Amino acid sequence: MTPADPSLARRERKNGMRASTRGKAARVAVAIMALGALVAGTAACGGDSGDDGKVKLRFAWWGNADRAEVTERVVELFERQNPNITVDTSFAEFNAYFQKLTTEVAGGGAPDVIQMDYRYVREYADRNALLEFSDTATVDTSEISTSLLAGGKIDGKLYAIPLGQNTQEFTYDPAAWEAAGAEVPELGWTWEDLAVATARISAATGEQTYGAVDFGGIEDWFEVWLRQNGKDLYTDSGELGYTADDVTAWWELTNGLRQSGALTPADLSTKVDGSQANDPMVKKLAAAGFAYDSSLTAQTFEIYGREIAIAPFPSSSADLGQYAKPSMQVCVFKRSKHPAEAAAFIDFFINDPEASEILGLSRGMPVNQTNQQTIGQTLSGPPKLAYDYEQLVADKLKEAPPPPPKGAGTVKSTFQRIYDDVIFDKASPQSAAERFLKEAKQALTS
Amino acid sequence: MSRYRHDERPAIAYLFLSPWVAGALLLTIGPMLASLYLSFTDYDLFTTPAWVGLDNYRRMLTEDDRFLASVWVTLRYVLISTPLKLAAALGVALLLNRASRVQGAYRSAFYAPSLLGTSVAVALVWRAIFDRQGVVERTFAALGIETGGWTTNPRLALIVLVLLAVWQFGAPMVIFLAGLKQIPPELYDASAVDGAGWWRTFRSVTLPMLSPVILFNLVLETIHAFQSFTPAYIVSNGRGGPSDSTLFYTLYLYQRGFTEFRMGYASAMAWLLLAVIAVVTALVFRTARLWVFYSGEEPR
Repeated sequence: MTPADPSLARRERKNGMRASTRGKAARVAVAIMALGALVAGTAACGGDSGDDGKVKLRFAWWGNADRAEVTERVVELFERQNPNITVDTSFAEFNAYFQKLTTEVAGGGAPDVIQMDYRYVREYADRNALLEFSDTATVDTSEISTSLLAGGKIDGKLYAIPLGQNTQEFTYDPAAWEAAGAEVPELGWTWEDLAVATARISAATGEQTYGAVDFGGIEDWFEVWLRQNGKDLYTDSGELGYTADDVTAWWELTNGLRQSGALTPADLSTKVDGSQANDPMVKKLAAAGFAYDSSLTAQTFEIYGREIAIAPFPSSSADLGQYAKPSMQVCVFKRSKHPAEAAAFIDFFINDPEASEILGLSRGMPVNQTNQQTIGQTLSGPPKLAYDYEQLVADKLKEAPPPPPKGAGTVKSTFQRIYDDVIFDKASPQSAAERFLKEAKQALTS
Repeated sequence: MSRYRHDERPAIAYLFLSPWVAGALLLTIGPMLASLYLSFTDYDLFTTPAWVGLDNYRRMLTEDDRFLASVWVTLRYVLISTPLKLAAALGVALLLNRASRVQGAYRSAFYAPSLLGTSVAVALVWRAIFDRQGVVERTFAALGIETGGWTTNPRLALIVLVLLAVWQFGAPMVIFLAGLKQIPPELYDASAVDGAGWWRTFRSVTLPMLSPVILFNLVLETIHAFQSFTPAYIVSNGRGGPSDSTLFYTLYLYQRGFTEFRMGYASAMAWLLLAVIAVVTALVFRTARLWVFYSGEEPR
């Protein structure tokens, strides 16, 4: 390069200065982008109350269009029966929903009726955002099983009512299992059986279709395995209920199956995020996978492109480890101006027979026992599969663990992220498990 | 023009300036100060921020393995993508600088990716192209090279993002083109008379004459690269994966702030990024004395 002419040094500095102003402008732009987002978070929407004697409730939930359709119909029904109450609904996809909800709660303008996830209920209750269901807000819970209701209780107080019930299950493609001569999974099968069957399927198809989706990175399935061994994800005081050795043993099991070719390889497994678009089973690259039975809808067979069946988890102990989980919950915002009406709406939503019939299994099994039995006779197709499955495992299900502590969402994503290092051969199960424990503890304490 | 006239009614001037001033104060300076304050607190959006002093900064630099991983990924991205992008921009600008009747059409065609570049749509397309069973994997497979999906391979995922950045060379290319047109043709005539070949002319005429423009593009593109967020967010589905191989600094900042709701920590990260970009920009200007050549207006 040609060095600058010394006689031009002054001009150069001047130009340099000018250009540096541009650089500064750009730096300020960074700040606007990074920090502008922050203030947006603190912006809030005000609450509202009708002055004309009419009560206006806001009900927010997550889900998709077909759930929106049935929800709207139930809202209309409620409004017809309660002419002095109107209910405004809004919905979004799961992650967006919680981002919005957090900012609304922070600003004091959250909806009156809030659909809640089991994983976050304690976090919101601890932050004083949720109203306890009591005399000011009464919902008839006599028809809901106590074990399901326990999932909404924090320190003995009820903050969340289940909207639906689901449980863990094993989804498989019966045709693929039959073609490979694998033993059909049924109540009482073991992890050993799973290893044999999945290996057989991978071998029979020349690894065109793997035996099952690698389930090692999903904390939900690890939880069932833990419970089979008499442990839980969290202790009652909200600390981790397991050690690095437990995680190591689990990852050695799943990673061993992956290495032998029985489970999907890393590049498929790393994309698993609960969406159907990224599910290797939907793409016919795997013949089975763990899931929740609430994922079975009328369209399931079309989505998978084939008929599927479901079975309980394998277990090598006397315990099945599964539990009746609140697939979704509903809460009342602490600062709602109309707690009684909000509770009345929730009561209608879960207990009214007509509402229950409209909703079907769109949020999981109805939590009202009577409604659940009524609806069983009207079902067909995949929802019927889920219903029958629930009946099969009903007396094997244990009480749901108490809601997980604040930071549990981060622990779940950390679990999958660090398992990625195992399947990409960047870390041994043991060193990965130790690192996971360290990060999980950080997420829970700070 | 006398200064007197300008100063006659300053109130009017401030009235006309007020939209900008209000915007700067409310939308820039205010939030910046708020975030500076938050960076010294523990703040989860729900409860009042709790003062923790320099704790966020300390934890970032001493305890957080992912923070270091994200710094490493970002530095690699900046150091690889910026020079490649500038080289691509300069190369195409040199080609387009030749007189041609369809030059305008070419210029638009090459600029188009930059218009689309920051959009979510292009990142989605990029993901599809480099995904498992995408066009790229199948092309390599047809040649007998098994690569697997690029976006799902920790060793290749960052390359996908670098290629996306390089492909968006349009903006610096247009600036280079303008710079090339400013170079006096007599310099080329002179070098031709002296018998200089293409390479010699490029090195001794084009590069020195273009160096102020190169500096400008280098600074701007470096800052852009440090701030890059959307491609990594879209291609990795917001996770920075696989195995944290595309965990850009900004993406980690976003995760800390908006999925874990550690706004104090995220603010501290934002300020550190600001400081680092400032230092890097200053360093680039410092080195500029050694290689940037200003021809100046005075006759030579």
